[in-house]
Amino acid sequence: MYNSLTRLQNVFSFFTTVAFVAAMLIAMADLTIPRTPSVGTIKPTNVQVVKGRPHYYSSKKEEYAVIKFSLEADLSSLFTWNTKQVFVYVTAEWADTNQNQNKNETNKAVIWDSIITSPSSDHLANLGPATRKKLAKSTAGKSIDPSRGKLSIKNQRPKYQITHPTGKVAHTEDVTLHVNYNVQPWVGILTWNQDVDFWRWKKMARGVSKIFELPAVKKKDS
Amino acid sequence: MADQLLEQARDVVDGQIDFEGQKLAEVLQNVLLSVVGAVSFFVGFFLQDITLALKIGLAGTVLTFLAIVPPWPFFKQHPVVWLPVAGSSVSASHQNIVIDEKMLSQQ
Repeated sequence: MYNSLTRLQNVFSFFTTVAFVAAMLIAMADLTIPRTPSVGTIKPTNVQVVKGRPHYYSSKKEEYAVIKFSLEADLSSLFTWNTKQVFVYVTAEWADTNQNQNKNETNKAVIWDSIITSPSSDHLANLGPATRKKLAKSTAGKSIDPSRGKLSIKNQRPKYQITHPTGKVAHTEDVTLHVNYNVQPWVGILTWNQDVDFWRWKKMARGVSKIFELPAVKKKDS
Repeated sequence: MADQLLEQARDVVDGQIDFEGQKLAEVLQNVLLSVVGAVSFFVGFFLQDITLALKIGLAGTVLTFLAIVPPWPFFKQHPVVWLPVAGSSVSASHQNIVIDEKMLSQQ
């Protein structure tokens, strides 16, 4: 500490230590904040199976399932001061019924996803200038916006059309839609929706839809 | 002449402080940065605002740098008193000290 340079080095070194400890405390404090995500409804509204190609240049034709759905959910308790964004995604799952193999294999494909930013990371959201201004106004400077995470979408067209490695998905039975989330914090570990309650973090209520089937391939009316 | 200027410049950039000042700097660094860290965490936690926590932390750190790195006068309150060279009664500051055959005079 005898000259300015050594004082600079020592202060900076202790600063990084303090910053690291503060970040650890912030990440651990997350555990004390209760999480109670819940789904009101998740149901497929319109299911079709169409024939298509993986790429415009592919010669193979495959069957794709287009699953439109409605989703009502409340994920607002996932948004704390340490939440940067929440990644919500809906998957369609069904068990593999191939007779030659174990029936333990589950097919899981994402049909829709969305990034919900918290006000502290709105400047990172993929929005144009007009939408961004509207968002800033509706947030009105709050650090936690209670409306974030409250989803209400009706008859949503899926982002992704799903298929099976064999290329055939028509007539698949026992398909369910699952709502999943991934909380991405500013500091700390990534966490996903959990299967069991963990102290103050509860598992998501009613995150699975009723069973439905994928129909036959849609015939073009000529 | 250039030597003298260089010497002065070096003293300013060097920023040497006495031993009591160094002890003070160490204590001040630990106290200031710990307080800044604690305040930024608790304010952020109770107001649930992480950008505020970050701003408080960085602002407090900058203030700490400003308080400790420059050689302020309060770090030089206890300068080292050098004893006279053995055998003479004149204090060291008025003697010519020879080191490695180069004559250095301290005034």
